Amino acid sequence: MKDPESTAQLPLPLPFGAKAEVIKLPLSEQTIPTGKKRNEKGQIKKPDSLWYAVYFPQLIKLSASQQQKYLNELAAVLESVSSTVSFHPQALICEIRSSLKYFGCIDTIHDKVNEPLSEALKQLSLADYFLYAACPTVTGSLLLARSGHNGLIYRKENLCSALGQLSTEVLHLNKEQNRRLRNLGVRYLRDIWRLPTDGLYKRFGSEFMGLLEKALGKSPELTHNYVPPLTFSISYDLPYEVESLDRLLPVAEEILGQLQEFLQQRDLSTTHLVFYLKHEKRNCTDINISLRQASRCRRHLLMLLETQFSNLIVPAPVIAVKMKVKKFDTFMSYNESLLAEDKPAGRQYNNSNLNQFMEQLKARLGGLFINSIYTVAEHCPEYATKQLAYDETENKVGGYHARVPLAPRPFLLLQEPEQLVLENGELYHRKPITIISGPERIESYWWSGTDVRRDYYVALEKNGSRLWIYHERRNGNNWFLHGYFA
Amino acid sequence: MKTYSESSKKAPDSLLGRAYSHIDGADQDNLSDVPGIEELLRRNADLWLGCDMAGQGVHGRSTGYPKLDDTLPGRGWPQNGLLEIISPQWGMGELQLLIPLMRSVIEQGQWILWISPPHLLYAPALIQAGIDTDQILVVNLDTSCKDALWSMEKALQTKNCGLVLAWQTWLPSKVLRRLQLTAENGDTLGILFKRRESKYSPSRISIQIRSSASNINSFKEAEITVVKARGNFQPHTIQLQLYQHHACI
Repeated sequence: MKDPESTAQLPLPLPFGAKAEVIKLPLSEQTIPTGKKRNEKGQIKKPDSLWYAVYFPQLIKLSASQQQKYLNELAAVLESVSSTVSFHPQALICEIRSSLKYFGCIDTIHDKVNEPLSEALKQLSLADYFLYAACPTVTGSLLLARSGHNGLIYRKENLCSALGQLSTEVLHLNKEQNRRLRNLGVRYLRDIWRLPTDGLYKRFGSEFMGLLEKALGKSPELTHNYVPPLTFSISYDLPYEVESLDRLLPVAEEILGQLQEFLQQRDLSTTHLVFYLKHEKRNCTDINISLRQASRCRRHLLMLLETQFSNLIVPAPVIAVKMKVKKFDTFMSYNESLLAEDKPAGRQYNNSNLNQFMEQLKARLGGLFINSIYTVAEHCPEYATKQLAYDETENKVGGYHARVPLAPRPFLLLQEPEQLVLENGELYHRKPITIISGPERIESYWWSGTDVRRDYYVALEKNGSRLWIYHERRNGNNWFLHGYFA
Repeated sequence: MKTYSESSKKAPDSLLGRAYSHIDGADQDNLSDVPGIEELLRRNADLWLGCDMAGQGVHGRSTGYPKLDDTLPGRGWPQNGLLEIISPQWGMGELQLLIPLMRSVIEQGQWILWISPPHLLYAPALIQAGIDTDQILVVNLDTSCKDALWSMEKALQTKNCGLVLAWQTWLPSKVLRRLQLTAENGDTLGILFKRRESKYSPSRISIQIRSSASNINSFKEAEITVVKARGNFQPHTIQLQLYQHHACI
């Protein structure tokens, strides 16, 4: 791309006068290449904006959502040269007039973007090439980029002629419109310039005309701007080394206070944040705080951190604290009914309290220590119940319960069945056992190596314990205690 | 100005009169405005009659066993505080006593937290007893005693937990006192299963379960002694039929 100062695109003589009137070529100012133009009233006129379009023809085969995702990642690269990056079909367009002064010339900007863009494309496993162009209108630059000319039109008055050279294919029209244009003998955009506007309106509709007017800078253009993803990261160097973690709490409170403010301003909340405690000459200690329910409440987060601190032993004194938010969530406030009677009787306790409580338990005990239980459709008694870490219950199919047998089952089941003593035809555990009811035969797993063949009985021990015992029918004919009817 | 204040004073009076008119009929006497002792006792859980408490008042949660209700102050389990169930060994039917309570807690949308039960909590048995397992959480047996007590205290503070069950045979009375206060403040009922009776326990109610002396070979019958209950003077002993939901035993 040529330097913007040397006008690569020479002002071509306009094909006909009528158009020149529409564009209102300010002939007297043509000699001033850049700088502040003055209009009739003597006010300083803002220079035309300059739009740099990057077109990725390889994206056209992908689905719309994938295109959006890829463009989002590519937009992050363009952020380095411009503050406004906007999305277009298979293209990104950024405003670079305001960046020209800083970068010097458009070549520097292009060089700066070229390599990271190809790098990013490679990472997304796409062909690493792209087409680009720059001109004073968004649509114009998009059309130029699509044509593959990689051109630069620096001034608005040259747009008409430059765009005129492009084939009508760059407009990405539908089949019917293309056919009509071909029948009219229109091959290039300049052929369109020659046609009467009202006729074109009639034949091709306002959308088509709008596109052309936008391209020539005659009507305003709307852009959908790229918003970079939010980050919140804050670090604090302690004035002295801290060994007791309790003394970090005031610092943490201050940090979390800032986080709360940050989130409140953006109407967000967080579900995952990480505290890094930095030590001298050692790897830093990470404290992951993940929440079941998004929160931004300083008090709640501080309480969780405090619980984590109480279990943590740091290998060395802490010299700095850093906090980073890993995941943002939209802030969801729950609705409270106006009238107390509206609440359904069963659910008068909202779940947010419970979630806070569970998070606190998790922080202290670790996720594996709290379980929810459910039944499994199994004949073998020890497999008919299952404990699942509370975190994983989300994945479980809600409200599902296997059917349970009619025969009595004890509340407490021994993890390992305990062998009973059989002496002179009487069963003993600690005291003699009398059988109350049974047997209930359970045979299962004969298809696998571990054959289960048991006769279950409900029994009463002399000291008053209600037992669930079984007689192993397979090897040894032993008696076992398997549960307590608590 | 004066008329306004007079009218504002009068208005609640007349309202009160109307509200309690069902007690004494439409009597316009001044005394009728004051609710009776029975009425006060019924409405206020913190008030109780000083003596002969067993089976008086209605501020308790029904145990589901009418005979047991008759021996407990407030005709049922207390709304909050600490409850001790002493069972010399597990499997005496100690959980049977709580089945109706657990059902009502779950119906109210509250959770039940089981803190380190001595053996695996068996889900099919809960379903058989009509207790939904969706609102049940279990803290593992491997949890250290300190952590278990910590989670018990936190659970007692949470409104979402309607019932906290813990198996702790020996606890210093200082800890028990702390748990008792937490349970009262958090308005939650905590239940401690113990092997032995401790004399100076600060818990609200202490219940001992034994196998029935008269009918020692009966599976369903058990002897319940209310060793201690705030308001009761002497221990009451009753015979209860447990395991009612197991028809085929």
